[in-house]
Amino acid sequence: MSGEPLRIGIDVGGTFTDLAAIDRGGEIRRRKVFSTPDDPSRAVLEGLDLFLDDLGAESSIPAEIVHGSTVATNAVLERKAARTAFIATAGFRDLLAIGRQDRPDLFDFQSRRPPPLVPEELSFELVERVAHDGEVLQPLDEASITPLVERLRGLEVESVAVCLLFSFVRPEHERRVGEALREAGLHVSLSSEVLPEFREYERASTTAMNAYVAPILDRYLSRLERKLPAEKLRVMLSNGGSAGVEVARREAVRSILSGPAAGVVGALHVARQAGTDRVIGFDMGGTSTDVALLDGGIPATSEGAVAGLPVRVPIVDIHTVGSGGGSIARVDAGGALRVGPESAGAEPGPVCYGRGGRQPTVTDANLVLGRLPPDRFLGGTYRLDAEVAHDALARLGEAAGLGASSRDREEIARHAALGVVRVANARMERALRAISVERGHDPRDFSLVSFGGAGGLHACDLARTLGIAKVLVPPSASVLSAFGMLTADVVKDYVHTIMQRGDTPFEELRAAARELEVRGREEVGAEGVPSDRIEVRPGLDLRYEGQAFEIAVPLAEDFLARFHAEHDRLYGHSDLDAAVEIVNIRLRASGRVEVPELRPLADRVEETAPQDMERRPVVVGLTPGQPDRDPAGLDVRETPVFEHESLRPGHRLAGPAVVVTKDTTVWLGAAEMAAVDEYGNLLVEVGQMTGAGARR
Amino acid sequence: MSRSDLALDPMDPICLEVYRHLLASVAEEMGAVLRRSSFSPNIKERRDYSCALFDPAAEMAALAAHIPVHLGAMPLSVASCVEELEMGPGDVAILNDPYRGGSHLPDITLVAPVFTGAGPDASASRASGASHDAGDRLLGFVANRAHHADVGGQTPGSMGLASVLSEEGIVIPPQLLVCGGELQTELLDFILESVRTPEEREGDLRAQLASIRRGELRLTEMCGRYGAEEILRYMGALTDYSERVARRFLASVPDGQYRFEDALDDDGVSEEPVPIVATVTIRGDEAEVDFAGTSPQRPSSVNAPYAVAVSATYYVFRALIGEEVPSNGGILRPIHVTAPEGTVVNPRPPAAVAAGNVETSQRITDVLLGALAQALPERVPAASQGTMNNVTVGGWDPARGRPYAYYETIAGGAGASPGSDGASATHTHMTNTLNTPAEALEYAYPLRVLRYEVRRGSGGEGERRGGDGVRRDLQVLAPAKACIMSDRRRLAPYGLKGGASGHLGRNILIRGGNERELPGKACFDMEPGDVLSVRTPGGGGHGQVRVARSTAARDLDLHTTLCLPACPRLGHRSVDGRDPSGT
Repeated sequence: MSGEPLRIGIDVGGTFTDLAAIDRGGEIRRRKVFSTPDDPSRAVLEGLDLFLDDLGAESSIPAEIVHGSTVATNAVLERKAARTAFIATAGFRDLLAIGRQDRPDLFDFQSRRPPPLVPEELSFELVERVAHDGEVLQPLDEASITPLVERLRGLEVESVAVCLLFSFVRPEHERRVGEALREAGLHVSLSSEVLPEFREYERASTTAMNAYVAPILDRYLSRLERKLPAEKLRVMLSNGGSAGVEVARREAVRSILSGPAAGVVGALHVARQAGTDRVIGFDMGGTSTDVALLDGGIPATSEGAVAGLPVRVPIVDIHTVGSGGGSIARVDAGGALRVGPESAGAEPGPVCYGRGGRQPTVTDANLVLGRLPPDRFLGGTYRLDAEVAHDALARLGEAAGLGASSRDREEIARHAALGVVRVANARMERALRAISVERGHDPRDFSLVSFGGAGGLHACDLARTLGIAKVLVPPSASVLSAFGMLTADVVKDYVHTIMQRGDTPFEELRAAARELEVRGREEVGAEGVPSDRIEVRPGLDLRYEGQAFEIAVPLAEDFLARFHAEHDRLYGHSDLDAAVEIVNIRLRASGRVEVPELRPLADRVEETAPQDMERRPVVVGLTPGQPDRDPAGLDVRETPVFEHESLRPGHRLAGPAVVVTKDTTVWLGAAEMAAVDEYGNLLVEVGQMTGAGARR
Repeated sequence: MSRSDLALDPMDPICLEVYRHLLASVAEEMGAVLRRSSFSPNIKERRDYSCALFDPAAEMAALAAHIPVHLGAMPLSVASCVEELEMGPGDVAILNDPYRGGSHLPDITLVAPVFTGAGPDASASRASGASHDAGDRLLGFVANRAHHADVGGQTPGSMGLASVLSEEGIVIPPQLLVCGGELQTELLDFILESVRTPEEREGDLRAQLASIRRGELRLTEMCGRYGAEEILRYMGALTDYSERVARRFLASVPDGQYRFEDALDDDGVSEEPVPIVATVTIRGDEAEVDFAGTSPQRPSSVNAPYAVAVSATYYVFRALIGEEVPSNGGILRPIHVTAPEGTVVNPRPPAAVAAGNVETSQRITDVLLGALAQALPERVPAASQGTMNNVTVGGWDPARGRPYAYYETIAGGAGASPGSDGASATHTHMTNTLNTPAEALEYAYPLRVLRYEVRRGSGGEGERRGGDGVRRDLQVLAPAKACIMSDRRRLAPYGLKGGASGHLGRNILIRGGNERELPGKACFDMEPGDVLSVRTPGGGGHGQVRVARSTAARDLDLHTTLCLPACPRLGHRSVDGRDPSGT
């Protein structure tokens, strides 16, 4: 192990920049510093200095830095990246503007798609045309290239995306244009290189996004390189792997959404250590919740989108719902209690932050229920204002008509708070169903891994609803993204549309895959991974002829049988006689990274109940057996509060209970039992649902 | 369960929201299954389908809609199944008869009743504690509707110019496709024998069945978890809730009678316009919509079944309400739709209806909005393109050795709203289907897309501009039969408050360099190399132009026709984001 350099994971978020490392002793070390949005590299470099100090003697050992930043994502969200031009086949200049011709909101007369990253006046076309079989129907008009390049320079364009029809079949035209543009010193993104896959709009959108963010990422990495040696710097990608700076520069679009992807990678690592790799990652933050289903590995999708614009490179399959701790509760025109998607954000934040927030949020509701102790927020550094939160929830309860009978305000506030939590849970439950049951997985076969600041308060309730038996809360919950970066492999994805008949001989497909394999091994090897640690996984995207949605299966001799079986599993039917099309050939090349082993906590105790810090009244739910209309049905119990730091392996606790960690709080319902494992993970056995009704 | 009981329930506002999510997720999951497992690009790429849940009285409880034109028609489909069939556990009914709850023949609907005892998981979940269930009790219905690319008839794609329904394809009255869990293969074979692309149809129907099964499963699972009693109660509470929101909105609209008239260009047989008239009366928290004065039914396919008129009405009010109200039957309770029988908005059999669903539905929407603009001038936009530009092409594919039928609709300009320009190149109002990528199309059919671009300057001028239409040129590589079913080729989309009309659409057949203007509705033969160039209408403008713009539209199609493939087009000069001259 001594040959491995120390690795440091750095996750640049909107508010905090997190740093994590596993030190020589096998202990997870971490540090949080405030982000510097005007120049994110500043927080990275300053945080790194501090962190290396923390690590003491180890700072002299050259460290490898894996770094995930929101630079590319934010550039797209804020529309503040490079002046980018777009070049298409004659007749298709408006490809980005027309998109798929739909409107995002069915019932909004003013609904419109987000404007493309390249404006109309920077979209151009070239005379050329290739057919689906590669035939050149119209040769490239070479004479028009030079005037076009001149024109782009005149327009002070910095970066250019080129997407010609069927360029993935015959890339020569794009390459010819690309050469001329590169000679002129422009950043160039060719669709046949970024994403050689059919469906021109999605390919063009992905290519345009690559072109749009590449110069920004380039400048940002250059700033880091002034202080850090390039060969020690790696960039987290949205596919759950990492890449060297040169690859990241070239394929900039692949670094978009890398933060949440790293969180999923971290969750898998933590889960494996706890003995399972079938988990649902549940990352609930302030404004939104990310969920992902991991069935033995990192889930990938090619159907991503950023700010409403499609991105078709493989990314970790994460489903996001606009429900978080800061989600605002209100009563709508029809008298229903709604929670989110509007959020109080960090400013003013929930009412209980005392920074001017007036509208009750999910966090306020948890406070009113007693599940969030006001004096232990963020390690006790920040005291929450319970009184104003109670007042806000009481007002909400009155607006919802909960105060019709003779309740006191406190009780109205608690009923309203319970309602807010249940409605927030209903939204998140829908997201969890979307990634599990909708895709043919039974959530009961999985464990829930909770991370993110707000997740612990809701994880057990959600698990119970979905029939999930185990919840795992890792001690590194709030820096799991940075931790995930430490454990991320070097990953390269390749895809190529081939559009062959299903009866294509396996040997032919294997030969095609071998080309990608050679390339994959070479490129991963070039990133310094020894060849015995490189693994390649070829696959095929298949569909029944005429379908428009592909299913991915591994490339194996029985690929057809696997396809039929997978189709049946996903959709409940298959047709062995129907013609199959081989749409894409895919390959993932991974270079395995050696992750230092975590050292188990030494001071194991006998199986005992730990000492609580205090006991406080908590609303556990509604009293069981009460008739629906009894307004006095609050089940309030004196509940122990435990400090996570004082828990030792072997400790067992029974719900109802509250466990407070430095940066998150875990709520255990009355039916839950929890144990602490040797890595400090809280393992919760979830109680079964009792009684009927959505009003638990 | 009476409504007053629910009002007393202290948990109402919370459970309402919880159940809204639960029921909506069932409909959404049905949609996910249908989309992913269907065969035709029409369902998968274009998403021309909807899924819904109904209560035992066949009132819609939740809907995952992608296509507004399905909104009002789904409930009528379920109603006619309930009326005509005795459905038991394991049954699935099928229908497309426009006179019994269908809309036009390509839209095939499946309906299944759901009982408490059904579903593989039901017994297990019942054992786990829910004590509410006693025997097989009707929980409601699940239904889905998908547009099939061909259902037989005179022309490939089944969207031709017929004069009676039977010429448009196979007519399926409500009947059982699955009986007690047994697929009725005779019926299925009969349907498949009547269409041009039986494999694709069978694949799509099986996808619809898979989606129905998933809906049943989820609903019975929910029943096991929460009990039938509570589910039924909240289905009712949710429709009551939507009704309350709708009534609140109607009460905010000034009382009065608002009338508006517009017309379809023609019916495709004669050149006579087809007037459509709506009188909207707002009184307190109720609305009455009366289509008296509308043209008698026509001997062509522009007749829109009553279900379509209801769908358009539902869409317009649902959009105006604004608030994210659950899509269910409650919205329609305070709205009364009267459509005189024998008119193009409520024809008698055996009138043909293919275009009624796609074209007349858009005009009904325009007329309703035109009427309501008088009551709500600050909310209602000018007319959008008002057509779906339906193109069907079919024939024999020599390269692949099989027949094919291809259908698509083409976007246009949206009408400008008070305070915002209309969107360009977008589907509006009654449809929202995606386009088929040129590369997907060329892999699948002997067709080629030569041009697909924004038709600049086609939106109506105004303080706020209407959105621009598009131009899509489609070349056939083998002899084919083609149909175009479009409108707003003679009568332009109206502007409001002094805004100019959107520009008319055009259909042009290009053969050997010669252009021939086609009518708005036409079926014709195409030779290899022929190009069908469809140029779609722009949206109407809103408000008078305050500052004179130098961008008044001229001959819109000049710049595109002048630019032959030999000249490189290096973008357009741009003054205010628009092509100034067409050079």
